[in-house]
Amino acid sequence: MYAQAFFVAAFGLAAIGFGVAVFRTSSMVRSALALLFSQTAVGCMFLAMQTEFLGVLQIMMMATEMSIMTIFMVMFMMDPGGLGGMDMSHQKRFSIGAGLSAAGAAIAVALLADWGPITAEAPDAAMQTRELGIEMLGRSMLIFETAAVTILTAMIAATAVAIPAHTLADNGNKEVSE
Amino acid sequence: MTVAVVLLTLLGSAWLLAVIEDWSATGRLRPAAPMLSGLAHLGRESLVPRKPDRLFFETAPVLLLVVTILGAGVLPLAPDLVIADLATGALFINAALAYVLVALIMAGWGPNGAYAMIGGWRFLGQLIAYAMLIVMPITAVAMRAESLVTTAIVGSQESLWNIVYQPLGFVLFIIAAMALAFRAPFDLPTAEGELAGGVDAEYTGMRLGVLRLARLLLVITLASATTVFYLGGWHGPLLPPWVWSLIKTLAVAALILLAGRHLPRIREADLMGWCWKLGIPLALLNIFVVGLQILVVP
Repeated sequence: MYAQAFFVAAFGLAAIGFGVAVFRTSSMVRSALALLFSQTAVGCMFLAMQTEFLGVLQIMMMATEMSIMTIFMVMFMMDPGGLGGMDMSHQKRFSIGAGLSAAGAAIAVALLADWGPITAEAPDAAMQTRELGIEMLGRSMLIFETAAVTILTAMIAATAVAIPAHTLADNGNKEVSE
Repeated sequence: MTVAVVLLTLLGSAWLLAVIEDWSATGRLRPAAPMLSGLAHLGRESLVPRKPDRLFFETAPVLLLVVTILGAGVLPLAPDLVIADLATGALFINAALAYVLVALIMAGWGPNGAYAMIGGWRFLGQLIAYAMLIVMPITAVAMRAESLVTTAIVGSQESLWNIVYQPLGFVLFIIAAMALAFRAPFDLPTAEGELAGGVDAEYTGMRLGVLRLARLLLVITLASATTVFYLGGWHGPLLPPWVWSLIKTLAVAALILLAGRHLPRIREADLMGWCWKLGIPLALLNIFVVGLQILVVP
């Protein structure tokens, strides 16, 4: 029990530490990978809380997702290496205020919400995977399918927008495409 | 004890593979060559390029080595010879090997070199495409076993190996495994001829030694995964189970290296196009067909 609490706290602190590192560096790649390791630490918290499937899934998904974010951050920022002394921060007082009140709200919800009775013993990992699967293909199916189709639509739309218009037109004739 | 046995087997396989590779390249059988080459790496100067991202430069080879060994940790050599028989084993190996991508982005960005950086970003595109071809065939394998536990997956192939039950999945998986191991013909991130070594280019001495060892172990881990998911794992007549696992793993690894020796490097746009337009529809078809097989032929 104490060991579990220790590891949850340790990974939690690591997640916060990497989260802070995201904003403490000027290098876009360092920033994105710090966010990746922050999310990996959250995945390790899931593992420490005996939710194996969710933990492994979080660790797997974030590696690819944050890697994709790395290249987008490098592509769109004017100083991706951070060697030019670029300052990305602005509206400091407002953001500090917003950050503190959001953290306060999250802590208040965690402390004040009625979380129901604590499970005496977590079901074993294989059983959790099975129950999660049945949940996702039953009661929660509509929610996940809606989200999935929305994401797919967004991906197709983004790809369509990203293709230059003249490549779609015959012989690259710009007048036709416009 | 199990940990030590599995790690030693992994190292031993890497040594054997290196000897065989050296033999096929030079025509001479030199069992000590990999060790001597490793020692030579230790003795050489390990240069650090100008203005590197030192953190990434140092972390990348170690991260690659660690995630490869973690991936091997869930693959059984015999019914009781597995480091961690996780309930999510088939998912865990994907999670571990997803960090190969992170390691290569670090190795590409870290040294502050153009060739290395192009190599790193190339691998990003390559792995995002081919990671799907790893995960989707494994989905079909897990469907048949009705479990994500790797030992249960081997158990499900006792009567019929998955290479026969779902041959399409096997072909897709082994191609994707070669792309993940970035061996020729998928060695776009290192591409000797055009990128002068790519992500390897700026590494020398001990750091290069770690990187090379990690790449060799990555091939072994993926060959072992192929054995577990498609070739019936430890099943086989007469010989003890772990010997069968080892023989199959080394045979798959040799196949991967052999393919690299005889196939030309593929152009990047073709590699991506084939995966997204052909590979993924085929992987979906594979899931559908296996689903039908499970329903129709119990």
